[in-house]
Amino acid sequence: MSDQLKEVLNQQNKQQNSDLDQLDDVVQLVGFVIGDEEYAIPILAIQEIIKPFSWTRVPQVPAYVLGVFNLRGAVIPLIDLRAKFGLQTKKQSDETRFIVMRHGDDVAGFVIDRLTMAIRLKKGDIGPAPDTVNGDDTIIDGVGKQADKIITILKVNKLLERDF
Amino acid sequence: MDEFQEILQDFLIESFELVEKLDEDLVELENTPEDLELLNGIFRVAHTVKGASSFLNFDVLTHLTHHMEDVLNKARHGDLIITPDIMDVVLESIDLMKALLETIRDTSADAGIDVAACVARLDKISGGDGEVDTPAVVEVAEVTPEPIVEEAAASAADDDVDYDNMTPDDLEAEIEKLLQERQDEDKAKRQAKIEAGEEVLAAPPEPIEDEPAATPTPEPTPAPVPVAPTPQVAATKEEPKAAAPAKRAPAAVEQTIRVDVKRLDHLMNLIGELVLAKNRLIKINDDVEERYEGEEFLEELNQVVSIVSLVTTDLQIAVMKTRMLPIGKVFNKFPRMIRDLSRELNKKIDLQLDGEDTELDKSIVEEIGDPLVHIIRNSCDHGIEIPEIRLAQGKNEMGTIGLKAYNEGNQIVIQIDDDGKGLDAQMLKDKSVEKGLITEKEADSMSDKEAFTLIFKPGFSTAAAVTSVSGRGVGMDVVKTNIEKLNGMIDIDSEIGVGTSMKLKIPLTLAIIQALLVGVQEEYYAIPLASVLETVRISKEEIYTVEGRSVMRLREEVLSLVHIGDIFEVERILDANEHAYVVVLGLGTSKIGLIVDTLVGQEEIVIKSLGDYLKGIEGVAGATIRGDGGVTLIVDVVALMSMARDVKSTALTDSSDSLESHEKTKASDYTIMIVDDSKTDRTIMRKALEPLGVTLVEASDGQEALNILKSGDHNFDGMLVDIEMPRMDGYTLATEIKKYNKYKNLPLIAVTSRTGKSDRMRGVESGMVEYITKPYSADYLSSVVQRNVNFKSEFL
Repeated sequence: MSDQLKEVLNQQNKQQNSDLDQLDDVVQLVGFVIGDEEYAIPILAIQEIIKPFSWTRVPQVPAYVLGVFNLRGAVIPLIDLRAKFGLQTKKQSDETRFIVMRHGDDVAGFVIDRLTMAIRLKKGDIGPAPDTVNGDDTIIDGVGKQADKIITILKVNKLLERDF
Repeated sequence: MDEFQEILQDFLIESFELVEKLDEDLVELENTPEDLELLNGIFRVAHTVKGASSFLNFDVLTHLTHHMEDVLNKARHGDLIITPDIMDVVLESIDLMKALLETIRDTSADAGIDVAACVARLDKISGGDGEVDTPAVVEVAEVTPEPIVEEAAASAADDDVDYDNMTPDDLEAEIEKLLQERQDEDKAKRQAKIEAGEEVLAAPPEPIEDEPAATPTPEPTPAPVPVAPTPQVAATKEEPKAAAPAKRAPAAVEQTIRVDVKRLDHLMNLIGELVLAKNRLIKINDDVEERYEGEEFLEELNQVVSIVSLVTTDLQIAVMKTRMLPIGKVFNKFPRMIRDLSRELNKKIDLQLDGEDTELDKSIVEEIGDPLVHIIRNSCDHGIEIPEIRLAQGKNEMGTIGLKAYNEGNQIVIQIDDDGKGLDAQMLKDKSVEKGLITEKEADSMSDKEAFTLIFKPGFSTAAAVTSVSGRGVGMDVVKTNIEKLNGMIDIDSEIGVGTSMKLKIPLTLAIIQALLVGVQEEYYAIPLASVLETVRISKEEIYTVEGRSVMRLREEVLSLVHIGDIFEVERILDANEHAYVVVLGLGTSKIGLIVDTLVGQEEIVIKSLGDYLKGIEGVAGATIRGDGGVTLIVDVVALMSMARDVKSTALTDSSDSLESHEKTKASDYTIMIVDDSKTDRTIMRKALEPLGVTLVEASDGQEALNILKSGDHNFDGMLVDIEMPRMDGYTLATEIKKYNKYKNLPLIAVTSRTGKSDRMRGVESGMVEYITKPYSADYLSSVVQRNVNFKSEFL
């Protein structure tokens, strides 16, 4: 009797563990669109997502750095990802958002064309970045495969790194 | 281990504080070798450091302080008189002690510094009578009034004396002696009071330390000559002692706590946020006032807003004050420095300190030390002449350097005066030309005052020979850099043969500052008010170009100009006005005029950093958040001045390279905007123009039209504008549009039912090219539009 009980308990434990394992294996991402491509970043790197508002231009910076804006008393740089990815700049629309990303102490706002959704991906479904862009310099963390499309996952620390 | 670290920290903090005070005391002691109060104090420091360091096993430090203690103990008991030579050794040992303490702070161990030589010298003084003047000391010690007073004073500090080392008999004798002395002392005091009479009472109530320093001692230092002590000497010595207890008393009552600077910084940040919120609240209050004029709740709101702003300001001042330190902390090290320098240079120099209580922000106090050291060294080395020359010129043999600090508005002024030989403008110019720092032409056009500032040029030194003190031509350059870093200014005045006076003007605090807000095109910038000397309004004709640079005449001076737009790469969208404002910036010793479009006003701003991502942008010191929630960049005046040198003169010249006119290949390349508040009217116009095949964009009022225009989505070839519209009427719209360079040639056609002549006149004034009165025929409208946009007939 007690053996049986043990076995049941053991099984339950196993089940729970595998559940936990599965949770560990899932990456939560937020997807967004820039130009024609869909990208994603880990949800935990996002401080907040806000509607666009006015910013102040800063001189002597590359064109993709739009300037700085006031986020509840903090002065935060604003980076246009379209320009950073070499796309034509586009007028902001109703769907334009600022994603405020944080990595350690570094914070910056990024202008994106459109949000898509929160995505849960199994780690197994994430492939490495294409060989051509491999290396430490790439801002691509990996490629997430979904049923009908692939999503480029970006490295937040690279996005927040000053490269000028 | 942690506990040890904690003790070590306390030990270091305490020791450094003690040592700092020590320097000042020692120099004073040299002037008044008989001052036992001082001697005791110094002895106590050595003793305390020795005790603590032996407890913490710092053997080298203990060894050194032990021998210092020996010497000081002798002096204290009158067995030794402190001569300048002995003082040199004592000071050297204190330097060693400082070095040891610093080593301990950095490495937690006191190894690596050799104290043997110094200890040997200390031993020689304390033990061997090997030094000069010892016989005289014995003589002094035997004179009756002297020991009484000395011992009496010593008794005050006798708690610190090592009684453990005494035999019981000695102890007994000591107690006996002390009792006797106490009685004698009382007697002597009473005697002295009678003798000194009113003088004691009349003595100023300031701390006693100031007195010897403030009263110049013209007679040579008394130490080497054994002065036979007379009753009068005893009486005068009585005076400081009588005052001493009164001075000590408040120190004991004073209640302080040590606070981590980080906490204060945090508090300061919070206050900063509060100031921003306050600014915002005031702005909102103004808006509300405008909108709900006469409402009852307004008054209540007003009251709350003013209380909040009042309290915020007070709070800000209060927190700022907690960060304030008296500048005396910096001044303290100078008496010692002057003493060393005057001995080294064989000059006689007296330092007069004033305003040591003047308070400055901690961060500034930390920065101001180095520049002052350089300036004072410079004054000693180049300013004050050697005694023979001074006497020959009929000056007092003793040179004087005055160092004083005082408040002036929102600034602290530190003034350094010397009565030395002064600066020779001509000599400075010649030297600079010789060294290739300036051209001869520049030298000729320089005023004396400008010539004085040459001493701040890197690589400049007026001393004929390089001494160990100065002359390498780096020091004054450092002064300028450091003062500029603090947003300060330097002002020099000098007269040959009379002396030099240098004023350093430094803002009180760094975190929250007063700023002048200026506008250029559609952007705003904040300039620290401390750097703004004045603002002037000029017309374009007043700007001249000299060697490719813009300059203007400001009273007697020629001021070089730079346009803020050139510094910050501002796009010239708006048409420049006939007039411009020049903000005259002064920093250190240089001046420059910054051309701006508008002056917005003065505002209290909180400096915020741009963060790691954007740090190091030249010309931008940081950012601040304005009352409306927008971010405004703060101008870094130091950087701006150096940037201005590289900027070519484009000031106020119109960048009239108009937009490349796109070649029209089809009718729909033409874009016309229709501005009318009536939907019907818009439709009528649309119907009239649609046959042409041009692209039409509609706006329902002036404001909307302006926004569409600004957004740059379309390149308009013409606009049809109604005059009477809500929000913004046609005239205003036209005026606004014509402000932009880009739209100077954009044809605006008024379409209106107003037919009066004055209406037409107003239309022309505001920049309209045609005036169509309603009703009109479709063909007529179409033809007017075609004519004005140069519509190519082949598209018809």
